[in-house]
Amino acid sequence: MAATAATAGRLLRLRAAGAEGHWRRLRGAGLPRGFLQPASADGDAAQRRQVAHFTFQPDPEPLEYGQTQKMNLFQAVTSALDNSLAKDPTAVIFGEDVAFGGVFRCTVGLRDKYGLINQTVQSDAGPRMALANLWDVWSRNDPFELSVEMWIPQVAAGICVHLLPVNCSWSNGSVDLQQLSSYLQSDRKLMRDVGHNFRRQSQTMMTNCRMCLVGISQHSPHLRFMVKGMIELKVTSVQQEELVVIPRSPFQAKGLLLSCIEDKNPCIFFEPKILYRAAVEQVPTEPYNIPLSQAEVIQEGSDVTLVAWGTQVHVIREVASMAQEKLGVSCEVIDLRTIIPWDVDTVCKSVIKTGRLLVSHEAPLTGGFASEISSTVQEECFLNLEAPISRVCGYDTPFPHIFEPFYIPDKWKCYDALRKMINY
Amino acid sequence: MAVAAAAARVWGSSRGLGRVGLLLLRQPGARGLARSHPQRQQQHFSSLDDKPQFPGASAEFIDRLEFIQPNVISGIPIYRVMDRQGQIINPSEDPHLPQEKVLKFYKTMTLLNTMDRILYESQRQGRISFYMTNYGEEGTHVGSAAALDNTDLVFGQYREAGVLMYRNYPLELFMAQCYGNVSDLGKGRQMPVHYGCRERHFVTISSPLATQIPQAVGAAYAAKRANANRVVICYFGEGAASEGDAHAGFNFAATLECPIIFFCRNNGYAISTPTSEQYRGDGIAARGPGYGILSIRVDGNDVFAVYNATKEARRRAVAENQPFLIEAMTYRIGHHSTSDDSSAYRSVDEVNYWDKQDHPISRLRHYLQSCGWWGDEQEKAWRKQSRKKVMEAFEQAERKLKPSPNLLFSDVYQEMPTQLRKQQESLAHHLQTYGEHYPLDHFEK
Repeated sequence: MAATAATAGRLLRLRAAGAEGHWRRLRGAGLPRGFLQPASADGDAAQRRQVAHFTFQPDPEPLEYGQTQKMNLFQAVTSALDNSLAKDPTAVIFGEDVAFGGVFRCTVGLRDKYGLINQTVQSDAGPRMALANLWDVWSRNDPFELSVEMWIPQVAAGICVHLLPVNCSWSNGSVDLQQLSSYLQSDRKLMRDVGHNFRRQSQTMMTNCRMCLVGISQHSPHLRFMVKGMIELKVTSVQQEELVVIPRSPFQAKGLLLSCIEDKNPCIFFEPKILYRAAVEQVPTEPYNIPLSQAEVIQEGSDVTLVAWGTQVHVIREVASMAQEKLGVSCEVIDLRTIIPWDVDTVCKSVIKTGRLLVSHEAPLTGGFASEISSTVQEECFLNLEAPISRVCGYDTPFPHIFEPFYIPDKWKCYDALRKMINY
Repeated sequence: MAVAAAAARVWGSSRGLGRVGLLLLRQPGARGLARSHPQRQQQHFSSLDDKPQFPGASAEFIDRLEFIQPNVISGIPIYRVMDRQGQIINPSEDPHLPQEKVLKFYKTMTLLNTMDRILYESQRQGRISFYMTNYGEEGTHVGSAAALDNTDLVFGQYREAGVLMYRNYPLELFMAQCYGNVSDLGKGRQMPVHYGCRERHFVTISSPLATQIPQAVGAAYAAKRANANRVVICYFGEGAASEGDAHAGFNFAATLECPIIFFCRNNGYAISTPTSEQYRGDGIAARGPGYGILSIRVDGNDVFAVYNATKEARRRAVAENQPFLIEAMTYRIGHHSTSDDSSAYRSVDEVNYWDKQDHPISRLRHYLQSCGWWGDEQEKAWRKQSRKKVMEAFEQAERKLKPSPNLLFSDVYQEMPTQLRKQQESLAHHLQTYGEHYPLDHFEK
């Protein structure tokens, strides 16, 4: 976050202001840096905003996909979108603030490369012109403000019905429950009732998630709410129609996103906000796919299975090394990657081997996805279990602002739970 | 409704709709609530006339095919009292406010500006996690807040800190909320700028856009039923007005006849989306008549215009139990928030223009100076004083502890359920063993 602040600071044009500065300031950058005295040294660590509770661990450079480039998470997303737009001239990105690059910089440069479609743009790109004529209202620069997420999926679903594969993206998947419910209801209707009459392309919806040292409950939606939304729809079959995918790193993000885009099912792709800049690794510049609905065993082990997804994978990786070091316990670490439908086989196979399972996520405990995993695993592997399945999750409260360090299931909580499981 | 729209275009608010009001069909409600518009007549149903009998519209037949042209080239005119140099244009519109009150306007706006600068900078230095400034929109806050009673309920979006400041919310509490320290009324649970104050009747800010609009309507309806002589004011931006919630809110307010003022701050941008891409109609004011709402467009950078419009709207909303829509035209001089860099989508020249040529604070200052109520000496002294006030509150807020982590679990339910109590205990237990890894020193016990 300090890096972000510094970068943004450089972007702002700082004006040296005298002691008697003007009331009116451009861009809030008027005060010289020294105006505010830095916080005292000993109070520094925590008076400053909390530093991350995890360390991002990059995977080794992938060699099988050609040339790679150092990218962070949002750059990997941009790369995936770039590849998919290049491949398919009818593809559209429809979302909030996507034209200028996006609030989280996921679409930087794409407008200049591929063009902006709206009523007033008269470009001579063939297929896109045809698109503009036909549809005339779909613009890549979403006309809606933050939180009109309500309508983006709907409208995007409409685009899909009539021709085009769509990536629709919105930032801060905050009003998730409501709009996802309405989206899923309308989507379901489209798929089932109207399906045969329309050629339906797939739709990938991208949004970001997770606490990120800034936003709290309304800006840190949890996967749980999304899943809950689906459950609350009372039509259980809807769960089989949408895929839910979360990457842990830039390399995973690009591959998974490209798979989602190509998949015929509608997909919801979450991007852990905190990893946008914090996660950097070598990512192939050419397109490649990572299979959906397949979990990945990142580290093999024999005593405990640890399952997580997104940012939390890095937390449990650290817990695995702590366990090895302090308890001599060998952990098998699994990144679930696709939440729905999830890879039951890989997880069960692992639990049969180890006999112990710990699932961790930031979303609240009750109704969180760990309960689904826990339930299924105990059904499938009951006799193999040496200890009750452990869930280390957020509390059943709205996500707090200042209490964040106490709320999140950090490595100490996971470590403690693991220790208890070993000693059961 | 076409008549209303056309009439509204020509002459803004009251006259246009008044005429149309007479034509509106009204059935007595199922609950038999007294009608607040006695001039509406129930149309005689007769099958012999060649007049339209449709229940859905009250209009005459026409035999020419004609689409109504939305008129955006010369839209609804913008009401203003002062020109850009702070001179009153039409003396009969001068509200003739006492010196004390106008000085309060000025001081509130400038204090807000100072607080914004300091808190924005503090975010850049990592002291607080997030901030949103109000540069350029101070006039909309103060003008409207001043026209209301202190008990009128305020529903804001997130860029209305000036309203709270006008109601004398102390700097200490603004800072406390941003820092999430022990003094925060919100107990450190919300991210910065999500102020709320029960005593000052300012409903806590909530991030998702436009959710406050239907809520405000509900509150206004309750106020009407309670005969409270209270109005509800609901602020939102032109971007939020594109939300579905806005539509529902407007329609409910009109059909339920609620004493509510919808105050739209049209500041030109919704993060990066300019108004040219936000809508194709004539802004937000033109939508009001579509719902049967009296509407006006004002110069949001003119405090007196905002004041006059809000004052009149308040008087009539309470007296007549009907909603009003005020679209205050202004400009967002700052970035959307600390997570935004607006140079990516707009030019510096544009921002400079508004900062230098048409700013609510400087316009009011010119007015004050021409009245002889303010001068350079006072300006200097006030700048120093206000900065000092803000810095003191800031330093104090930074030094205070954060609330106890137990507050993570309280207020979720009226009574804490067993499950949650167990989680609270497990955290306490966890901290006993692993407390060294947590910033416990900065939190109350």
